[in-house]
This record gives sequence, structure tokens and C-alpha cells, in this order.
Amino acid sequence: MTESNTPFDHRPDTRLGAALREALAAPGDRAVFVARVLAGAARQPAHPVEHLLARWAVRGIVAAAAAAFVAGLVIGRGRASTEPSVSDPDPGAMIADVQAEPNMLLVTATGR
Amino acid sequence: MDLASDGRGVVKMATEPQRPTGDARNPQEVEDASLVARARSGDREAFGVLVDRYADQARRVARAVLQDPDDADDAAQDAFLAALVKLEQYDSARPFGPWLMRIVANAATDRRRRRKVRTAVSLDEGLVAGGARPDVVAEREVLLGRLRVALAELPERRRMAVVLFDVEGYSHAEIAKVLGIPEGTVRSEVFHARRKLRALLADWRDDG
Repeated sequence: MTESNTPFDHRPDTRLGAALREALAAPGDRAVFVARVLAGAARQPAHPVEHLLARWAVRGIVAAAAAAFVAGLVIGRGRASTEPSVSDPDPGAMIADVQAEPNMLLVTATGR
Repeated sequence: MDLASDGRGVVKMATEPQRPTGDARNPQEVEDASLVARARSGDREAFGVLVDRYADQARRVARAVLQDPDDADDAAQDAFLAALVKLEQYDSARPFGPWLMRIVANAATDRRRRRKVRTAVSLDEGLVAGGARPDVVAEREVLLGRLRVALAELPERRRMAVVLFDVEGYSHAEIAKVLGIPEGTVRSEVFHARRKLRALLADWRDDG
């Protein structure tokens, strides 16, 4: 026996350990227990691929949502930059307005 | 009793995994890692070896939490099946035993929380001190019954700590990881558990 009489001992107490081991020993058949576990395992997917696919599916959905969000932002910004705004008049249109005035005068002078 | 010593004074069942004696992984741990790798790739036979190897340990740890042997077996089974699903998460550079025992402890604790409070600890009540049958059972069985009662009266964490340390031979550091508590707390829990349980062993010594 190597156990010490003090609970401070850092080594396992072989006497106490053996007693507890006996006290906690399962009354049921060990082989039956192992067979039960293996039967339960057999009902689970034989290969963890299914679990991996399930995990990847979640990741894929998250990635797709993020990609759609980013694409939406890019497209939205692109449209916003090409649309004319009220505060930014088109210079070409302004020139066209100025050039139209002589034509109108000509039409008036010729009576057409 | 089918017991053997690992040279560190730890009494082990001959068929069970041997505990590491240092920081380096022992052959048992290397073999465990290999079995886990095979089990990960779908090898049910390898998983069966792991179950067979750790069955007794898992059942004892579960019983330390639940007391009732049937509940303990159910929890141990839950733990093995959960471990099978979680094998991808296992770091093969670390020992398999503490990783598995953490799952066992969690499964047992979850089951205890779920089940309804029972009227009494499921023990052979006649074996408990003051029971009706001590005159017809061996004195050793009476002591075992008392030990179970004393163990059941300990706080759950204390119970697990002393079982993992003195029965299963895990180090304080490993138990700290299993239970998710500081190493100093593990030492304290083992100390308090021993102080109570050793009092019962005085009779045991007289007996043996």
C-alpha cells in the first residue's frame, strides 16, 4: 500500500480507489452494455460525411446570404452613381436649350 | 479482484487503459488516437474497441454522478454515442480519456437534471447502515453500501473529482479540464472527499 494517511497527498489513494471502484462497479453485464452502445452506434450514420454536409450546408447558406448582400450593395451603388440627380444638371441639355432659341426665331420669321 | 498496478500506485483493472506516467503520450494514447482516426473514417470496429476499452470507466464516472446503475448506463451510452458524433472535434494530440470523460460527465449531469427527483438513492437499502438485512449479507457488502451512500452525499463535483483521481487515476490537471474548473479547486475537492470517505475505510481496514 502506498497511500498516505493525509487527504493532502497528491498521489492516488489505492485503498480508497479500490473500494470506490468496487462500490461503483456496474451490476449489469459489461458485454451487454458494450453491445448496446454498438447497436446505438449502428443506427447512426456510418460515415461522418452526413454530419460534415450538414455543417457545410449551414456555412453555405450563410456564405450565400453574405454574397447576396454584398452583390446588392454593389449593384445599388452602381445604379445610384449612373442616375442623374436634381442637383447635378446635365450640361449637354443646357447647351441644347440655348441652341434651340435661334431655331425658334427662324421658324417665327419664316412664318412656318 | 482483477486488479493490477501501473507502477505509480494506481490500481487498475487489467483490461482497462493505463494512465500516462508523464507528459509524453504513452502507447495506449497513441493507439487511442489511431483508433479514433479509424473511427472518424467510419470504421465501426475501431469505435467498438474504444467502447470496450472505456466502458467500465465511463459507467463508473456516470454512476458517481447518478448513483442509479441503470441511469448511469444510459448516460454512459449517451456519452459514447455523442462522442461518436463529435469525433471530428477531438484533438488527437491530446489524450482521449479525459476528452471522453468530459462527455460522460456532461451526459450524466444532463440526465440528472432532466430526471425527476427520486425519493431515495437507488442503492441496496438493506446494505445501508441500519438497514434490515445486514445480518444476511457480507460485512463487506455493508461497507460498500455505506461507501455508496457517503459518496452520494458528497456534492457532485467533489464526487467526480475523487472518482476520477483515486479510481481512474487521472491527474489534477486532466480532471480540471474534464470538470472545467481550476486545478487548485480539483485538489480541494479531492481533499474534502477523501476526508469524508476515508473515515469509512477504518472499518474496511479492520475487515481486511
